[in-house]
Amino acid sequence: MTAVDARAPQAARAAGDASARNAVTWLAVRQMRRGALIVIVLVGGMSAMVATTYASTVGDAMDADALAALAENPAIRTLFGQPVALDTAGGFTVWRTGTILAVLVGAWALLTATRITRGAEDAGHWDLLLSGKIPLPTIVMRHATVTVTAALLVGGTTATALTAAGTPPDGAVLHGAGLALVGVFFTAAGTLAAQTFPNRAAASGATVALLGAGLLLRMIGDGVDALGWLRWLSPFGLTALSRPYHDNRVLPLVVLALAASAVLAAIPATAARRDARGSWLAPRTSRAPRLRLLGSIPAFALRRLLRPLAGWTAGVGAYFLLIGLLAVSMTDFLADNPQFADLAAQAGFAGLGSVEGYVAAMFALLAIPAGIFTPYTSPPSPPPKPTAGSPSSTPDPSPGSDSSPQKPPPPQPVPRHSPARPGWPPGSEREA
Amino acid sequence: MDAFAVRTEGLTKRYGRLLALDALDLAVPTGSVFGFLGPNGAGKSTTIRLLLGMARPTAGHARIFDTDAQDVRTAHRSLAYVPADVALWPQLTGAETLELLGRTGPGVDRGYRDELVERFALDVSKPGRTYSTGNRQKVALVSAFATRAPLLVLDEPTSGLDPLMEREFQRAVAQARERGQTVFLSSHQLAEVEAVCDRVAILRAGKLVEIADVADLRRLHRGQVEVTFAGTAPRLDEVPGVEAVERVGPARLRFTLTGPPASALRALATADVTALTIHEPTLEEIFLDYYDEVSR
Repeated sequence: MTAVDARAPQAARAAGDASARNAVTWLAVRQMRRGALIVIVLVGGMSAMVATTYASTVGDAMDADALAALAENPAIRTLFGQPVALDTAGGFTVWRTGTILAVLVGAWALLTATRITRGAEDAGHWDLLLSGKIPLPTIVMRHATVTVTAALLVGGTTATALTAAGTPPDGAVLHGAGLALVGVFFTAAGTLAAQTFPNRAAASGATVALLGAGLLLRMIGDGVDALGWLRWLSPFGLTALSRPYHDNRVLPLVVLALAASAVLAAIPATAARRDARGSWLAPRTSRAPRLRLLGSIPAFALRRLLRPLAGWTAGVGAYFLLIGLLAVSMTDFLADNPQFADLAAQAGFAGLGSVEGYVAAMFALLAIPAGIFTPYTSPPSPPPKPTAGSPSSTPDPSPGSDSSPQKPPPPQPVPRHSPARPGWPPGSEREA
Repeated sequence: MDAFAVRTEGLTKRYGRLLALDALDLAVPTGSVFGFLGPNGAGKSTTIRLLLGMARPTAGHARIFDTDAQDVRTAHRSLAYVPADVALWPQLTGAETLELLGRTGPGVDRGYRDELVERFALDVSKPGRTYSTGNRQKVALVSAFATRAPLLVLDEPTSGLDPLMEREFQRAVAQARERGQTVFLSSHQLAEVEAVCDRVAILRAGKLVEIADVADLRRLHRGQVEVTFAGTAPRLDEVPGVEAVERVGPARLRFTLTGPPASALRALATADVTALTIHEPTLEEIFLDYYDEVSR
């Protein structure tokens, strides 16, 4: 009798806890569902489109030898990865879209993870949530789990779409799993960074740097044969090593899955041992005033811009310095294999074997950081607005925007409703 | 149930070199309405974050009823919280926010919640981003009161409310007290604290400087006395408790009085007093006394 009495409230407690955890899951889904849907449609759709149009675009327009020559070019290899199985629709799709889609999935996953965890925590949205019965580590892990699930859905959709497009299922599944695991890895990395860095901008910036480093390792590994082992250190390299539609190797993906699991497993402990709104790397609680560039609005704009601009410039500079250092060794390959260069020239790609041609192709990459940086520098928008998850919702400027040094319980800027401002753009009222 | 809803022993919190809270010993009796006062930066919010397990103490510990405050899963079954600066999810409507907080909190009395929504005149169909400061605070207040949790932790809950809503808030606190709930109220609105609190603690620079019943606090502090007299002025120089005697007119004296008034009255009896007013100190004056000590 007493045992029953004791168990009844316990059962009610457990039911209440489950309901509370479901409510947190629902909250996480609400905050990222739109972005997840866009990424799922984009990645699945793009893969299916390239695979179904393979016969008409590649089969007719280019003969296989020319394509192989083009694909063996170090510049093309650096950009798109080592080509395998270009003679099949699936293999061509992986080579043509694999890297760009993996970067897209990874970037979306990390930005979403930092936005719905550190972003929401910094904005004060979690203050009310944390007064409930769900502890901080559980809340963090629920949000991470939802993003991980979305990444798995991206992979599942891609595999289904590629199979539906008529490519072999084992290759489709392997490619889908690779994309999903890249998403899972960067979700885990972003969430871990959110426990480590004092604000969302820093957490996003650090994880973006990790993504950049991973991409660079993959590029070097693919471009320089001697350094091929570097790909084992990069999520993008590991997905490339799985060689879907060719060898269909599972081991690299197992390594990636283990790495992602290890990072995920580290999150609860790091979340449990910190203050809410606090982090492992705590900002200074006070500092001497820095009064430069506060005198006018243009000066203030410059002040706000200087640090992110310096950070981005250094990052992009370092990236292209490495590419430049490798350019010679990569183009040497073409010089040693003139038949490839001839074939490429026949196909209309003359010059790709030279350093100039190689670097010109690499500069196409510059559009990505330049394109992402521009939104940062656009007019200061109202404080943190976690828009309901669009993949384009970029983080604030990279590590150390000017607003970072603050006391742990900071006076947070409260997201406010900003109705359409009369007299905007500036000067419009003057006309009236 | 424990005799104390909140108990801290040697509770200390450091942020780097900044000592935010210095060995705080505090006991809040179950069923009381407890005011928590102090100037900005005194450590009030830090204390509340420690009580809620949102921050980890550098030393000492806090207990909520008989549970360690760090054991959030258990301790938060018996408390509800209203933050000083309420940030709501911009895309969730008021109703959705209340549902989320109801499900993650210690349970909710839906009937009472609907009643509170009416009383606080809250439109719950609007998304969070459209709410004003006061309306965001109302959402948090409705959510907290509707839990009927045994302990309500309120951190400056009324800074954005209009006088009408302020009155509604005081009613809700009174009802909570009638039901036996404990209220821990941090506030700068001293009139509000005076109206609803039984007991107050005053914090200064991370240290507790006073903890007393509101009535006792009044007794301990100086009131202001004004006397009008005919003929010679009463002699008040040597009277214990009397200070700051000043002549405000040809036949009027003003002085402050601390402690029991008997000896002052005896001294006044020697003169021909025609009028006498005694003004009890408000909590604000008492509080300003403590503030002044800081600057001294």
